Amino acid sequence: MAGAIIENMSTKKLVIVGVTLLLFQAFAFMVGGLIAPRPTTAAHYLATKCVDTVKHRQETKWFMPWGHNQCDKIRTFDEATAKKIEANNIVFAVHIPLPNKEMSPWFQFMLVILQFDIAFKMLNQIDEGAMVTIDVSLAYRDDSFSEWTEMAHSFEQRKLNCNFTTAKTFENEGRYYECDLLPFMEVGSVAHKYYLLNIRLPINERKKVNVGIGEIKDIRLVSIHQNGGFTKVWFAMKTFLTPSILIIMIWYWRRITLMTRPPVLLEKVILALGISMTFINIPVEWFSIGFNWTWMLLFGDIRQGIFYSMLLSFWIIFCGEHLMDQTERNRLSVYWKQVVPIVFGSFCLFIFDMCERGVQLTNPFYSIWASEVGTELAMAFIIVAGICACLYFLFLCFMVFQVFRNISGKRTSLPAMSKARRLHYEGLIFRFKFLMLVTLACAAMTVIFFIISQVNEGHWQWGEHTVQVNSAFFTGVYGMWNLYVFAIMFLYAPSHKRYGDDQSSGQCITGDAGANSGEDTQLTTTITHVDGPTKIYKMTGKEAQE
Amino acid sequence: MLAYLIYSSSVAAGAQSGIEECKYQFAWDRWNCPERALQLSTHSSLRSANRETAFVHAISSAGVMYTLTRNCSLGDFDNCGCDDSRNGQRGGHGWLWGGCSDNVGFGEAISKQFVDALETGQDARAAMNLHNNEAGRKAVKGTMQRTCKCHGVSGSCTTQTCWLQLPEFREVGNYLKEKYHRALKVDLLRGAGNSAASRGAIAETFSSISRKELVHLEDSPDYCLENRTLGLPGTEGRECLKKGKNLSKWEKRSCKRLCGECGLAVEERKAEMVSSCNCKFHWCCAVKCEQCRKTVTKYFCVKKGIQRGRNESAGSRRKSLRLKKKH
Repeated sequence: MAGAIIENMSTKKLVIVGVTLLLFQAFAFMVGGLIAPRPTTAAHYLATKCVDTVKHRQETKWFMPWGHNQCDKIRTFDEATAKKIEANNIVFAVHIPLPNKEMSPWFQFMLVILQFDIAFKMLNQIDEGAMVTIDVSLAYRDDSFSEWTEMAHSFEQRKLNCNFTTAKTFENEGRYYECDLLPFMEVGSVAHKYYLLNIRLPINERKKVNVGIGEIKDIRLVSIHQNGGFTKVWFAMKTFLTPSILIIMIWYWRRITLMTRPPVLLEKVILALGISMTFINIPVEWFSIGFNWTWMLLFGDIRQGIFYSMLLSFWIIFCGEHLMDQTERNRLSVYWKQVVPIVFGSFCLFIFDMCERGVQLTNPFYSIWASEVGTELAMAFIIVAGICACLYFLFLCFMVFQVFRNISGKRTSLPAMSKARRLHYEGLIFRFKFLMLVTLACAAMTVIFFIISQVNEGHWQWGEHTVQVNSAFFTGVYGMWNLYVFAIMFLYAPSHKRYGDDQSSGQCITGDAGANSGEDTQLTTTITHVDGPTKIYKMTGKEAQE
Repeated sequence: MLAYLIYSSSVAAGAQSGIEECKYQFAWDRWNCPERALQLSTHSSLRSANRETAFVHAISSAGVMYTLTRNCSLGDFDNCGCDDSRNGQRGGHGWLWGGCSDNVGFGEAISKQFVDALETGQDARAAMNLHNNEAGRKAVKGTMQRTCKCHGVSGSCTTQTCWLQLPEFREVGNYLKEKYHRALKVDLLRGAGNSAASRGAIAETFSSISRKELVHLEDSPDYCLENRTLGLPGTEGRECLKKGKNLSKWEKRSCKRLCGECGLAVEERKAEMVSSCNCKFHWCCAVKCEQCRKTVTKYFCVKKGIQRGRNESAGSRRKSLRLKKKH
């Protein structure tokens, strides 16, 4: 890849492009921070304790915590003891959402977290490694009068991870254990208005089911869903970004095909980066409003995974193509050492995701973390992916280091070179340094905003305005990587300066402008005829070194 | 009026849970939160304004707020959680656009509406009560725990949602007990008329104090002695704790505090207790137990010189005491 736009562009134009991109970047942050609400909402539910009086039920009966046809409720379990109601007759009912509200497809997903309030009793403590078995069913309906339709029914096991922080004495009886949050349910689309959860904790002494789990006082649920407003802003952003990236991509590829030589590897990789960005941008989520596509969440994960691995591959190949060590590269196979960890790592994460979110397509209550084997498997996948990531970054750092070493080596020999070769090297160095700088800035911004959004309480009060930091993080970072890909495709597209457009002032080309154009033409034409610059410079470079 | 009917049972239950917590917190103090303390009304002409009053006000309003928040999560109220004035402004459709505010915000608002309404006066006492009500509500907010859940790509932490969750009410009680010990005394009673100037002074004084702190105007009376005019029972006959393995410092000193320092003697009474043991528990309701007997030693404050055993009955759930005379 020689004679990219970025080298031949005047400083003034480059500044204009930079400022425009920065403006868009600021706009992306503002859209999230000022227009969008916070990305997700957590709603709290306390399960209502219903009494199931019928001994042997023929068909599933649904227990409503409130509203029409509400169940026989008890407030506390002391009441149940007095009325001689047994544990197996208790049904915990939760209606999502709370009264006078309804769910909407704009919420995109819903995940529910379960928490037990378990009171400490000297004589009824939680056993070591106690498992709780939950008989849970989920139903939906779309108006408040029709029958409930069952969506899922499952027996789930969850490990109770509880500890009692105060002294285990009689005086402290009745205080609650501190228990870990239990992942409970995850649905990838919220297509219905009302959901109903009926939870039972059946006891079977012989099979040791739900024995030794302490004295449960309450079941609390927290449901998390994306906010409708955020979804709308997000969709709008995607809808706007898709054509922008698509157009620049087509423009970029047309420029490459206009050249007489076939495209080099780096150019292909940039195109692939553009394609994966477009893939992530295409707002297929619009369909989730009309259709009940539960796999959208998984699909989103896959799309993100593809983009990340493409971005990582791009960095490696970009570094490799700017190594300037006179080795023939230009083939993907040369980079197998670096690409394999990326592919393998993403594959591991993909398998993990399929195990969790894939299975959740059929059973929303499934969690890979619930079972011992599952946890180990999940950890194994994540650790392998982590090792791959470490390996990758080692390779990348080493490569960047090599490039810088070669740059400083070239710097000393630059004045002695012929003009054509000097310009070529200067071009390479400038291109590399520019991308390096931009990438580092983007990565740093991502990390900084990530930290801010994690540390912060979610929003800043700014006089009258509330700035939603989390939303700003999402839209800002998403916009930033889009702009990054946009800028790469624009600035690293082949320049057409050789067709007589002679106004190169050359911020990196220090030679005099008049003589420059002749040599430039010569340089680029040689390159276009041979497959890439490397072969010639392999020879010439070696001569120079000798 | 309709709103009053919807919330009143929750408010009453909340105030009751506040008083129960008060009884627990002050079980080993000279003042042990007698029922009489529940009277928060303004009618009583003998309204005290001491440290204990401050605590009662705080814990009651905290209890009301706590219970309302809990019942809101149960789905008891139609309009809870979605305070449209806050989220409805932008986007205009509240719940769908940006979700609702926490249920605790609702509990706070209703608690404020109900508990503070009892305070009709504009004098220093009223200001003190309002301040302590607010401190109680702040205590609920202050003890809430922030919990987060990660749910990004493949469950990573790129996206996480955090929320505040209600602690056990005991935590709120412990927190307020700390505040009780560090309550601030404000000297406003002397020469307090009901003039506009003094009202301004009162408002100014209270606004300068952190809303998390408890405030009182008077010193506490001597709780050792029985005082019929103030309705104080005194500490005679109270049980105290001694020699326990897991007792806190405060509990260990309770006999000295309740009896010794009040000029009373400690009497040791041995009691045989029948309690349940070897129980088979389920997570709820059914309990199958055997009955066991064991001897427990209890300590009581008695007048000096009449240290004899007396029959006394104490009972709690599944416990009955049979007393044995001390030799």
